[in-house]
Amino acid sequence: MLENQRKNVKQKQIQFSFIVVFLFVIILVRIFYLQIYKKTQYLKASENNRIREVVLEPTRGLIFDRNRKIVVDNHPSYSVNIVPFEIKKSDSVITLISKILQIEPDSILKIVETKRTGLFTPVKLKRQIDFETLSKIEENRLDLPGIGYQIEPRRSYPLDIRAAHLLGYLGEIARDELANPFYKELRIGDIVGKNGLERVYDEVLRGNKGYSYVEVDAIGREVKKRTEKKGILPHPGHNIHLTIDADLQKSLEIRMENLNGGAIVVDCTNGEVLAMVSKPDYDPELFSKLISEKKWNELLNDPGKPLYNRLVQSVYPPGSTYKLVVAAAALEKKKIRTWDTTYCSGSYKIGKDNFNCWNLDGHGRVDFFSAMEKSCNVYFYKLGQKIGLENWTTFSKKLLFGVPTGIDLMDEKAGLLPDRKYLEKRYGRKLLPKGLLVNLSIGQGDLLVTPLQMLRLVIIIANDGIYPKLHLVRYFEDPITNEKQWVKIDTTQIVNISKKTYSTIKYGMYRVVHGKNGTAKAAYCKNIEVAGKTGTAENPHGQPHSWFVGFAPFDNPKIAICILVENGGSGGKIAAPIAQKIIKKYFTIEKSNYAHF
Amino acid sequence: MHIFEKFEFTFADYIYILSIFILVVMGLLAIYSASYQVESPGLKANFSKQIIWFVIGIVICTITIILPTRALFSMSYWFYGMSLLLVVLTLFLKHDGGVSRWITIAGVKFQPSEFLKIATILLLARYLSYKKRNLDKIKDLAISFVIILVPFLLISQQPDLGTALVFIAIILPLLFWAGLSIYYLLVIVMPFVVMIASFNYYAFFVVMILSTLFLFIFRRGMVAFFLIMIFNILIGIITPFLWRQLQAYQQHRLLTFLGLEIDPHGVGYQIIQSKVAIGSGGFWGKGILNGSQTQLRFLPAQHTDFVFSVVGEELGFIGSVFILGLLLFLLLRGIYIASIVKNNFLSHLVMGAVVVLGFHIIINIGMTVGIMPVTGLPLPFLSYGGTFLITCLILIGFIIHASIRRFRY
Repeated sequence: MLENQRKNVKQKQIQFSFIVVFLFVIILVRIFYLQIYKKTQYLKASENNRIREVVLEPTRGLIFDRNRKIVVDNHPSYSVNIVPFEIKKSDSVITLISKILQIEPDSILKIVETKRTGLFTPVKLKRQIDFETLSKIEENRLDLPGIGYQIEPRRSYPLDIRAAHLLGYLGEIARDELANPFYKELRIGDIVGKNGLERVYDEVLRGNKGYSYVEVDAIGREVKKRTEKKGILPHPGHNIHLTIDADLQKSLEIRMENLNGGAIVVDCTNGEVLAMVSKPDYDPELFSKLISEKKWNELLNDPGKPLYNRLVQSVYPPGSTYKLVVAAAALEKKKIRTWDTTYCSGSYKIGKDNFNCWNLDGHGRVDFFSAMEKSCNVYFYKLGQKIGLENWTTFSKKLLFGVPTGIDLMDEKAGLLPDRKYLEKRYGRKLLPKGLLVNLSIGQGDLLVTPLQMLRLVIIIANDGIYPKLHLVRYFEDPITNEKQWVKIDTTQIVNISKKTYSTIKYGMYRVVHGKNGTAKAAYCKNIEVAGKTGTAENPHGQPHSWFVGFAPFDNPKIAICILVENGGSGGKIAAPIAQKIIKKYFTIEKSNYAHF
Repeated sequence: MHIFEKFEFTFADYIYILSIFILVVMGLLAIYSASYQVESPGLKANFSKQIIWFVIGIVICTITIILPTRALFSMSYWFYGMSLLLVVLTLFLKHDGGVSRWITIAGVKFQPSEFLKIATILLLARYLSYKKRNLDKIKDLAISFVIILVPFLLISQQPDLGTALVFIAIILPLLFWAGLSIYYLLVIVMPFVVMIASFNYYAFFVVMILSTLFLFIFRRGMVAFFLIMIFNILIGIITPFLWRQLQAYQQHRLLTFLGLEIDPHGVGYQIIQSKVAIGSGGFWGKGILNGSQTQLRFLPAQHTDFVFSVVGEELGFIGSVFILGLLLFLLLRGIYIASIVKNNFLSHLVMGAVVVLGFHIIINIGMTVGIMPVTGLPLPFLSYGGTFLITCLILIGFIIHASIRRFRY
């Protein structure tokens, strides 16, 4: 070695050593950063790696009728899910599971892409797989890392009733619904109520999820069951006990078979709905199985609109049933005395326009009760003129028209209650008076109501001004503690209408069923005094809608009823006979129940 | 015994040998832990296989120590030639996936590229140790480069860029050690820096200013100054142009090859899991056989390339620092021995060994803690792998060989 190089050697040794130490210090600083400074974060990450949270699905609450018969039951069913991370790692899982589930690999990727919320959160691939599929997955367990399955509720309907609109159905939660606080704690792919009571009481029926924690290895296999992290047991959903009487419901469904319309029977003393049917409807079993897109579109596009609950979601002109409101206004405002008569020639002329009575031959001399009995239009045209538009609106409002009934179902319509402002806006100031009021006094024109609103009117009359809110649930029951939670009954007191007015109207309604010329003679029942009012509502869609509203027994009202048959024709001929059968049925059921004691 | 009487073992040498033992034992522990919960008998056998390799390694290491320096010196050409031949052979033995790094002899797999590392530093040390060498002469410089470029090109054909880069890493420190002036060193390095900087205007600008300054300071004449500057500017212009000529997939392949592009589900996953493993170890570690990342096999290649993550997770900061300390001691003492040893060939040989070991250590640990690209270089003494362990022990053998003959010419 050259001498000058020798001298440099000491210097070079220091330089080399310095570089090595420098590099080691960088690594040391980095290790310090990872192991000391960021320790908590990485420890958490390693825990997340290792401990997989397993959701334990609670069983969904059951639905019973008022006599504790099971209306909606659960069947176990399995759904297959996949951890998105696994398919990023290899294609073989996709190929295999696509063979087992018989879904195209591309569709699987698409499902995962649209539904995934994270790399490690399982995405539901297929619901309600059969046992054969399940065992195939079990057999190929080792080749299917990241594939799992879970139990989810599937509804079944052991009774022979449909009550489709009432009960609603279940479906997978939609991505945009997750933001709703109503669905807090839920994840994509969870099953929730989509309509009817399943939707309204979803939170109660759903129960609380449980969690268990398992240790898994890198390919997602459970290593051991026990972990330090304690799990939480799921709490099953509450059972719901309905106000519905399954027998009455069944017979109402039979009576409404092949008709379009709605029918509802309630206990008018407390607002409990005993039976409720909207037709056409659909088989709820259809939704408890996986409904195909084709079937769903068929239902959606059916001109009969089977998905609509006509009682709450459709509005109709009330026709002559609305005469009850006009009568209440006239009596309360003392515009008439019941014995005053007026002459019906079959038509009524106001200005240049001629308004016909439904009976073109005329009813001759009629007083209040015979006008009610015969549903004389001319009498009520004149009554309308006497009370005026302001009183008509005021009393309609007093009797809660234009306001939903508050029943525990989704999307209830408020109907349309026109007032002066609305009418002026629509027809202009000049055309307003007289003519429009003539139509409104017999429940035609711009006025639109839901069948439930008409039913509420009858309840108010039957109870002399007290309205117990319509409801479908009597109590909720915790399936573990059996603790019952009764639904409180909201009552509304209608002010400024006297008992005398109600009594007069009730007697008028009694005459409608019991009078010699009563329009609702078809609703007459032996042994039970029924009071009611028919309606035959003109509408632009063809035949008039057929209405019957009423209550029974006359002297001590127990039930109220409302029947609407779309385009059914005369209320007395179509709706009233259905009402009669149902009222009879109700009282036979009640008698047999009574006999048990 | 006759041969041992001539050797002058000092206390430091014994500590040195002890350090190696501790490192290998810790590596065995990590390998045991990494294969502990695996049903696969192949992986379970890693631990016992590594022990056998260690025993063989000790024997070969001892031979390296005892062998006369003269023998090492004269066998360098043969060894270089043989190793090259074996590597060429692997190129014809393409199997599964086209990657061929092994030769199987009697059921045992060898990686000839590992022996080539030893052969190359042996030959380079021999070449540079001649007294008449003048590295200011282009010819001597060029031959030095040929010695490392041949293995580099062959091994990048395998393709194994990590190992190929080791040869590039050897040359500059050794040339510098052999007396190449900083001026030439930087002139050699400059085009590569310019090449990388040329993708960014600011970086290119800064690099050009720095190179101008540096050339100005050394004052080696205007002609050299302009030639070098023009050459570097040309490289700066041509590189991005050539880059753009490449197809997107070629660019991608090149970047992934260089470890500059991270594929989030492949390499990225490894780095994340490795950082999680080390980070979650904390100060004291989770305890041997208690690291969840290791035991549940979230770590990739945990017994080979990512063995340091196992140590980090199970033995914590304390364990990591302990191992870093031992490795640092090995390197610093190596540098010290290279500087005191009287024999010029041995001095270069030791330096070569230090550079090879140091490069592996920095790149590997840097990779597991996420500050270096993933290149697939194992960690000396700790990673599983028979050929590599033996290579490392031979390199240590060189250092001890020199240490106990430090006063001889």
